[in-house]
Amino acid sequence: MKNYWIRRIMSALLVLLIILVLNFVLFRMMPGDPVSSIIDPRFSPEAKAQLRKIYGLDLPLSGQFILYARQMLTFNFGISFLTQRPVWEELASRIPNTVILLGSVLLLSSITGTWLGIKAAVRRGTWVERIVLWGGAVSFSFPSFFIQLLLLFFLSYLFPLFPLRGTVSIPPPTGGVAALADYLWHMCLPVFSLVLLGFGGWALYVRNLMVKEMGEDHILLARAKGLPEGKVIWNHGFRTILPPIITIFLLALPGIVSGAVITETVFSLHGVGRFLLESVTGHDYPAASAAFFLLALLTILSNLLADLTYGLADPRVRFGKRGRG
Amino acid sequence: MGADPETEVAPPFSKPSWMGREVAPTLTILLDNDTLQKRISWNYEKPRHFKVQGRIQFSGTPREASLIWETPEKRYILEDLSGYYDIIIDLDARDITFKLHMNIPPFENALDTLFPSKGEYGLIVSSDVAVQSMALQLEIEGDKYGLLGTDQRGRDVFSLFLLGIRVSLIIGISATLIASFIGLSVGLMSGYLGGLTYALIMRGVDVLLTIPILPILMALAAVWGKGLWQLVLILSLFSWMGTARTVRAMTLSLRESCYIEGLRGLGAAPAYILYRHLLPETLPLLLANIALGVPGAILAEASISFLGLSDPRVISWGRMLHEAHSFGAFSNGAWWLLIPPGFGIALLCLIFLDIGKYLEELVDPRLKGEQPE
Repeated sequence: MKNYWIRRIMSALLVLLIILVLNFVLFRMMPGDPVSSIIDPRFSPEAKAQLRKIYGLDLPLSGQFILYARQMLTFNFGISFLTQRPVWEELASRIPNTVILLGSVLLLSSITGTWLGIKAAVRRGTWVERIVLWGGAVSFSFPSFFIQLLLLFFLSYLFPLFPLRGTVSIPPPTGGVAALADYLWHMCLPVFSLVLLGFGGWALYVRNLMVKEMGEDHILLARAKGLPEGKVIWNHGFRTILPPIITIFLLALPGIVSGAVITETVFSLHGVGRFLLESVTGHDYPAASAAFFLLALLTILSNLLADLTYGLADPRVRFGKRGRG
Repeated sequence: MGADPETEVAPPFSKPSWMGREVAPTLTILLDNDTLQKRISWNYEKPRHFKVQGRIQFSGTPREASLIWETPEKRYILEDLSGYYDIIIDLDARDITFKLHMNIPPFENALDTLFPSKGEYGLIVSSDVAVQSMALQLEIEGDKYGLLGTDQRGRDVFSLFLLGIRVSLIIGISATLIASFIGLSVGLMSGYLGGLTYALIMRGVDVLLTIPILPILMALAAVWGKGLWQLVLILSLFSWMGTARTVRAMTLSLRESCYIEGLRGLGAAPAYILYRHLLPETLPLLLANIALGVPGAILAEASISFLGLSDPRVISWGRMLHEAHSFGAFSNGAWWLLIPPGFGIALLCLIFLDIGKYLEELVDPRLKGEQPE
């Protein structure tokens, strides 16, 4: 158990390091360094050198990287080129929206996906299975933003049930309950669309795993013992495929984060993903780099969280024995 | 229809022409020396714009001449040509001077007067002297055009849609080919040769598979420019990891097989074994992998274009959706800007998924027996 944790945390740190390197390379490749945006051509060479020194640009590349990594890890992202305000201030108000979007989507799509997948596996040939197969096909072939645009078109424009854009109404409603209701109303369609797109592929995997599992001998044994069918399904079938389901969760995670970036753009949500797009198109490198770093960090954290669940779900890990597979 | 899809052919957001028989079409009527009048039967609602432009030269100075618009109810003199030997005509129903001349209040729509009801309309040049040379063009801009209407710039959506296939196919196929080549090389080498370097590379692959790729692609697309081939390069650089893993796993098991062992015993060089024996073994699997990888690349390209990070001059389905989203297709109810590109992408992806599944079954017939999915 302890070994498992050390290995998981080490690998998360490795991912973090690689992301830092990638981020450094990506955004240092961009034309213009932080100083060139404040340097006036009329500055004397001494003043320019002094400024470069303040920003650490006179250091060798390795030194610059260490400085950069330290800034990133302390959330000191520098000044935005576009707004001339600290990037962190810009980002701080957006992080909760992205976290709420990601969190609710992950939770809802994994629960509905798993539940429908198992229902589809147990009741072969019924409408549940048909929904799962169709949902899977749609989520693999339709671009997510297209489905979202359609939903937006039909449910916000033709039949205005939901707002067209944004996270809060303008002007924002006053009062705690009204504000909360307004917020939930705005998040409805983004979350619903991502769940709609996410659960299909998910349910398909779960169904395939479950179909295979239900043919195994231990299920036969459980039935032979005379256990009720619900117990056979949930305590014996589902319990066995729980670890691979968490693995799927891990594999699906980066895609869901990418999907959130697009979703925030489609629905004009006040989130980190749209901030990334805006700063990338506006050549605001400190901001883009910070947004990218935060999205990657969110992925790593959810990854660790999934690892935690995996550690609890897989008895081989829980009891400190390593399986051979 | 113009050859260049960039040309504006009709007013922005024209409906597809099969939508509603009452919707006004876009018409152009030409008058020249031989045809001094033309009649049309108009069974539609009133159009959006009405424009007459051209030049008339008479053989002498006419005492009595006019340009007439004949409606089922009344004749209107659009312009009095009396006393002009040579005249340039430029009328637009939106102009205040035109409205004043026609006795229409300046804030009323002149088209209500010009198109009062359904029936026969005519554009007539009448004069008491002969016309020497004339070129007159009447443009009636309606609300429908072509098979799929027009977009926010008045371009024909159907030709944009057809052109969009090109980008999706070029990017989808070439990015996947390059990615498969990289994946194949890395997979084969790391599987057969092993060693620390390749172990590190495979660890890197694992890491890359846990990072959301789209933000990286967005940043790269912004740094490297927005061209078609830059996009191909960027996409292929970040989609070879899956192939590398599959090929590596296959090579690892093949390496231990008897005939490779035998080849090694006979003194075959690693390059020979890799090229003549391991590569052909992995090729069928690779083909299926390519076909299954194309949808991913197509969707990635569409996402990047949708986010507005592609070359605005290159028409692609993702770009069309981007323009629909950001230039008011919604407030105009222009669903024909959304549906065709979206379903185009989905259809293309389904086709490649099907090809991939078929190839996979050819390679591994055991898959055929499984439940249909």
